[in-house]
Amino acid sequence: MPLRLILRNLLKRPLRFTLTAGALMMAVFLVCVLQSLVVALDAGVREAKSDRIVVQSAVSLFVGLPLAYQSKIETVEGVERAMKMQWFGGIYQDSSGFFAQFGVDTDRLLEVYDEIRIVEGSLEQLRAGRTHCLIGKGLVQRYGWEPGSRIPLQSQIFTRGDGSPWEFTVAGIYESDSASIDENTMFFDFRYLEETLRARGETEIDAGTYILRIAPGTDAVRVMAQVDSMFENDAQRVQATSEAEFNAQFVSMLGNIPFFVSSIGGGVLAAIALAVLNTMIMAGREQSRDVGILKALGFTDRTVFAVLLGQSLLLCSLGGFLGLGLARLASGPISMVLSTQFPGYEVTPGVLGQAAAVALAIGLVAGITPAWRARKLEVVDALRGEA
Amino acid sequence: MTEPLIVLEGVSRIYRRGGEQLHALDKVDLKIEAGSFYAFMGPSGSGKSTLLNLIGGLDRPDEGSLSVAGQPLAALSGADIARWRASSVGFVFQGFNLIPVLSARDNVELPLLLAPLSRAQRREHAAHALELVGLSDRADHRPSQLSGGQQQRVAIARSIVTDPTMILADEPTGDLDRAAADSVLDLLGRLHEQLDKTILMVTHDPRAAAAAEYTVHLDKGRLESVERNETPAKA
Ligand SMILES: Nc1ncnc2c1ncn2[C@@H]1O[C@H](COP(=O)(O)OP(=O)(O)O)[C@@H](O)[C@H]1O
Ligand SMILES: [Mg+2]
Repeated sequence: MPLRLILRNLLKRPLRFTLTAGALMMAVFLVCVLQSLVVALDAGVREAKSDRIVVQSAVSLFVGLPLAYQSKIETVEGVERAMKMQWFGGIYQDSSGFFAQFGVDTDRLLEVYDEIRIVEGSLEQLRAGRTHCLIGKGLVQRYGWEPGSRIPLQSQIFTRGDGSPWEFTVAGIYESDSASIDENTMFFDFRYLEETLRARGETEIDAGTYILRIAPGTDAVRVMAQVDSMFENDAQRVQATSEAEFNAQFVSMLGNIPFFVSSIGGGVLAAIALAVLNTMIMAGREQSRDVGILKALGFTDRTVFAVLLGQSLLLCSLGGFLGLGLARLASGPISMVLSTQFPGYEVTPGVLGQAAAVALAIGLVAGITPAWRARKLEVVDALRGEA
Repeated sequence: MTEPLIVLEGVSRIYRRGGEQLHALDKVDLKIEAGSFYAFMGPSGSGKSTLLNLIGGLDRPDEGSLSVAGQPLAALSGADIARWRASSVGFVFQGFNLIPVLSARDNVELPLLLAPLSRAQRREHAAHALELVGLSDRADHRPSQLSGGQQQRVAIARSIVTDPTMILADEPTGDLDRAAADSVLDLLGRLHEQLDKTILMVTHDPRAAAAAEYTVHLDKGRLESVERNETPAKA
């Protein structure tokens, strides 16, 4: 029956109950989404491989490196493979149809990125034609492409002279186990780019970055230092970084956004906690007489404490539960919408657990004040209506 | 002669407001035999409620001693007093004091949660108490769906459901019209006569006091007189 008392008292004011539970639901939902965004932002850094090194121009990411560097880099001891990786900057249909494309050495792709698993088509098919490409599963879901599909892309960086789009043909579909390689990327043969540009008369062709795979047990720091010094007196000086550092550049380009996002979440929670506290204090005051009655009948201080705290906990569990449910349901659509900006967006059990703990903590904080007051209430004062 | 059920010796309850002291009760001596029916009368503020609350263990005296059934209440902890109250004391208040969100049946059943009874036994006891006050057909009503007289009868059912030795009623008819008041007085009289309950009732109404065996007069916290009523009226 104390349970019935908890329930009935909560439901006594249906509007207040619904509004408060709704506020909690939204707060928990928001916290799940914000927290998942932060997790997604960091995924590339967190899941970066320590046996990969990225070589870029020392000047800027937007300056290319001579093709001749590739074989020189491979002479450094401990470097197993160096692969060209050129950002293509293509746009499909209109600017909303944006995803990442890279021109790569297709024969080295799977050696350097061993988390890539081709699930349809094959590496042979990819290498069988110049315009062939490998696309991630996410792109299949987004555009419905399949092996054989033709993909026309306009590049912001590389034009074909006659203004016509670059044509690609899907030769394979991949999945990836790590956030370093998301499933919304397209890889194609660097030679397609190179040959088309040469045919147009361009002579200075370069590669954006080189991705190195180093042998197990190799000292990555030593390799990076050696690569850096190798081109110190060349036309293009280079900067070698670990994959984690390289990925972190992109996160830091966003400045303090992760911190900012977390702060917003925290602020929302604090506001909601105060609102729930207010509701529970009001409910507690309304139930002063009930508390006096219960105590007069012989119920202990502990029981009335539990009745008041129980209302807050129940309210917050319910609101929180709905919020978690909403976050789960919405995670599919949200990750679709954010697939290019936040490729790793996923509401993980960890995030759900955190949000649930937060909802319960709010229930505890908001419930303890009125519960403590009820516990301390003197029967005589409560019944005289002086409490 | 057996020991009286309730013994007060020099009991005072003093409230301090600023520098002043207010003696809500001032050195009250009183002995009450088990199974008797007492009415407490006196002007507003004379300490009637304070006295009843002390006897029921809702409040503690500042001076003097108070024992019930040979047990000095001062020796009991708060939790012990609560336990004793649950089993031995029934309260009826002027404002009924039912829990608004619970049905009449649940209100009556509430004190039984503190007794070692099964759910079925609780149901049965509650049904029996409601029958005693003539409200079996209103068991599922919320207090707000009942008249004042009916609410007070539910409160009486709640006070009796644990089969306590005494019932403390603080102006139980104060908010009721005459007909409802009569039925409440009739009920209390029957609890006294048929079930042998000790009844202590605060009242302003001389007609109500006439139902009791003794009338205690209080004024400014002092016990003025205890009158024996040779022929208690049947309400
Ligand atoms: N909690 C309290 N604080 C201060 N004064 C109180 C308190 N309770 C009762 N009193 C005072 O004690 C006196 C007796 O009160 P009470 O027993 O309620 O009187 P009655 O029931 O006879 O009307 C009154 O003067 C009242 O104002
Ligand atoms: Mg009074």
